[in-house]
Amino acid sequence: MAEFTEIIKALAECVGRDHLKTEEDVLSRYRVDGLLPKAVAFPSNTDQVSGLMKIAHNEGWAVAPWGAGTKISTGNPPQRLDLVICTRRMNHMRDVDVANLTLTVEAGVRFRDIQARLATQEDRCYLPLEDLMTESDEVVCSERSHSGCFFPLDPPFSENATIGGVMAANSSGPKRLYYNLPRDLVLGAKVVAADGSVVGTGGKTVKNVSGYDISKFMLGTCGSLGILCEMTLRLLPLPEAMATVVFSFSDFESASGFVDAVLNTTMLPAAVEVMNEAAFHALEGEDLPGMSRGSFVVAAALEHFKPAVERMKEKFREIAKIHGATGERVIGEDHHALFWLKVGDIMPVGAERDAEYVTIKLNYPIAAWKDLAEAAMEGFTKQGFNPRLLVHSGSGICLISTDIGSDGGKVSGIVKDLLASCRREGGNLVVQYAPTALKKDLPIWGESGSDFIVMKRLKERLDPKGTMCPGRYVGGL
Amino acid sequence: MEKQELTARLKEIVDPEFVLTSEMDLKLYSYDASMDRATPDVVVLPSCTEEVSKIMALCYKEKVPVLGRGSGTNLTGGTIPTKGGVVIHFARMNKILEVDLPNLTVTVEPGIFTLDLQNRMVALGYAYQPDPASQKVSTIGGNVSENSGGPKCLKYGTTTNHVKGLEMVLDDGTVVEMGGKAQDAPGFDLTGLMVGSEGTLGMVTKVILRLMRKPEAVKTMLAVFNSIQDGANTVSAIIAEGIIPASLEMMDNTMMRAVEATLKVGYPLDAACVLIIELDGMPEGMDEKAEQIVSICKANKVREIKVAKNQEEYDLLWAGRKGAFGSVGQIRPSYMCCDGTVPRTKLPEVLARVMEISEEYNLPIGNVFHAGDGNLHPLILFDDRDKEEVARVLKASSAILKACADVGGTISGEHGVGLEKLKETSFIFCESDLEFERNIKRAMDPSNIINEGKMIPEPACEA
Repeated sequence: MAEFTEIIKALAECVGRDHLKTEEDVLSRYRVDGLLPKAVAFPSNTDQVSGLMKIAHNEGWAVAPWGAGTKISTGNPPQRLDLVICTRRMNHMRDVDVANLTLTVEAGVRFRDIQARLATQEDRCYLPLEDLMTESDEVVCSERSHSGCFFPLDPPFSENATIGGVMAANSSGPKRLYYNLPRDLVLGAKVVAADGSVVGTGGKTVKNVSGYDISKFMLGTCGSLGILCEMTLRLLPLPEAMATVVFSFSDFESASGFVDAVLNTTMLPAAVEVMNEAAFHALEGEDLPGMSRGSFVVAAALEHFKPAVERMKEKFREIAKIHGATGERVIGEDHHALFWLKVGDIMPVGAERDAEYVTIKLNYPIAAWKDLAEAAMEGFTKQGFNPRLLVHSGSGICLISTDIGSDGGKVSGIVKDLLASCRREGGNLVVQYAPTALKKDLPIWGESGSDFIVMKRLKERLDPKGTMCPGRYVGGL
Repeated sequence: MEKQELTARLKEIVDPEFVLTSEMDLKLYSYDASMDRATPDVVVLPSCTEEVSKIMALCYKEKVPVLGRGSGTNLTGGTIPTKGGVVIHFARMNKILEVDLPNLTVTVEPGIFTLDLQNRMVALGYAYQPDPASQKVSTIGGNVSENSGGPKCLKYGTTTNHVKGLEMVLDDGTVVEMGGKAQDAPGFDLTGLMVGSEGTLGMVTKVILRLMRKPEAVKTMLAVFNSIQDGANTVSAIIAEGIIPASLEMMDNTMMRAVEATLKVGYPLDAACVLIIELDGMPEGMDEKAEQIVSICKANKVREIKVAKNQEEYDLLWAGRKGAFGSVGQIRPSYMCCDGTVPRTKLPEVLARVMEISEEYNLPIGNVFHAGDGNLHPLILFDDRDKEEVARVLKASSAILKACADVGGTISGEHGVGLEKLKETSFIFCESDLEFERNIKRAMDPSNIINEGKMIPEPACEA
């Protein structure tokens, strides 16, 4: 094992001295659960990542990949942390093949830049108008044609998150209801494995069964098996029309009745989101008529052919009336994208906020949603907290977040009860964010199942030295 | 382990009536839809997961090669027992275990025929989308192992996009559950890894599949062209215009003639190719999309477009496409299907190259394929009794796959690598890619007894 200074020298040779930082003020910006790394490297391409990893692997160092750090707090506190590899400089679009509906990008490309790049291809955009004006003055949004395209994923923190981080965390949003998940949108990837070897998998084609589906397998592994360096993404043509309908209800029962009725039709909304009053207020928009403390809001995103969007608007308004909606609002295409961008940021997951808080993501079979959403809210409100609740209806996912002030001690019991409720329904949960001090009392990754032994086998074979984020992942892997 | 003792031990696990050792029985299990042949030592048909678990534990302890088989429609040799040993045939495990409509799932045993499952779901108003052409005969377990495709993949994805969870028996007999009815289970996407693993990592004993509501409306068209280029250009143009049909299939003249001779579905025998285009979803806007497609076809010199007006016409249209592979039997007794996939825009170029290869090697090649996602299926037609012809076929096949890889495509869109394409993996993988795969295999099957020798070539020799 080489001396620290020799290791630093080797790392610096790999990326260039300017791109390897050891100064305290830089290191402190790359803490993970309070743990300071020894160095932070900023490689500019896959080969450099490979070089860094080979050195780290040989020296028995522990590595944490880092995109924009929006989701870095999710996970157990690391057992060890030596080197942070930040993909910020790997921000090139490698192959923009719009006619083939594929896009190949480096992992450090910011998610919002992907949509912006695709928007400039055609005359319609998937992003809020205001944002695009700063990118390019020539882009004009119109309703003429719709041969433009977009990347059909709507993860939270899309302003800052990198595509590598989005994929490593298997991050998604409300519109997964219609557009599906990251695993359905990644066609290929280039990964640097724990020992530094470069592994390419998949390709540009929608169909590909040559070899193990490694690109799919790497998604959601949160850096525990390697570093995603490049990805080929599947694009879709822009929807012809987009609009949102929002309804307010005076209680959960009527809101959930509306949701179930909508999901029971054969129509195809892009998203159906349920928010409690606290979550809706985080959007900082105007209240709907009739809203009060116990109100719930349901927002449906409609992205389809024009007449289909019109039909869904009409039908949903009818159904909302039947279920006693107290207010309604229609959001046109101009503000539709901005609305959903804000929905993505309702649940905080980052250490920028001063307040102590927790954010939990529950996953469960679709039909259990009402019971679990109520259990989640009750669990926290009973103990005096005021949580925000966001339900991705029809997808079996809900998020709950609350400031905890100095009452952190109560949280562990609440979460453990909630986990038991989820398990009873065949689901699970993940604590996406909690103050480091609370983590040891929390089931961060929910409860492991019978397949944990398989995960263990794979981790031990693919990362035998425990180079990648040791201890952070499920079961302490 | 001695074959006799192995048989005796298996008869303790599975009803002896379902442990097969006669010469004729073994011969029936020595082939699949690929060109390879090999005879197993014994075939066993278990009735439940517990029996599969005990069989695997036995093979693990005695280091006996073992592999799983559905209907053996596998085109790449995935079900050929090249090392002898035990073949586990899942024919008796063919039930639907649970239909859970509120959760949009159906749980099945691996031996169920895919079309049977689909028909039962359609009767309820729901759809299991992946529709491999072999669906009448192939099983869900087989589809899962190969990550089967089908015409609907263009819009709905392949089998892996519709598998929510698996019950699997590991090499040593341990039974584990991966995934489930809930999405986003914390942990590795093991289900995603197992689907398409060609039966090399374990034995799947239960599958939880995703259901969708049946689409409200369907519109299917047949577009006839006088040149393949026009058809291929139309495919690119449709996608470029922002229309993603549910299916976009192409058949060339050779294939149409073969189909007409057996099935008589009404294909024009003097056309160069036809496109089958299907739209599905909400009816609003569908007519306009169909009009748009007609315009695009006309802009690309289409000769004629027919829209299926009723269920009968619809069935006939698809019967031709799905019966295509089977009908080539009257041109030549054998076929080799090259499963290369290319980016759509490269279709015209690659199709031209396939025609060149056909002339170069003097072999008839028919093309029927998923044009919408660039997944070709050039069928090289030959007589496998003619050794000289077989040699030319293997070279032609390799050349076609190379052409696909060269334009940024891949060597297998749907049928897997199996035995057939072990050599061709070098067109798209380098040694470190393969070594990562080998490590996955070593983690799951360190004894290397599960479907040994498939999918991953041996390491290149040090020079």
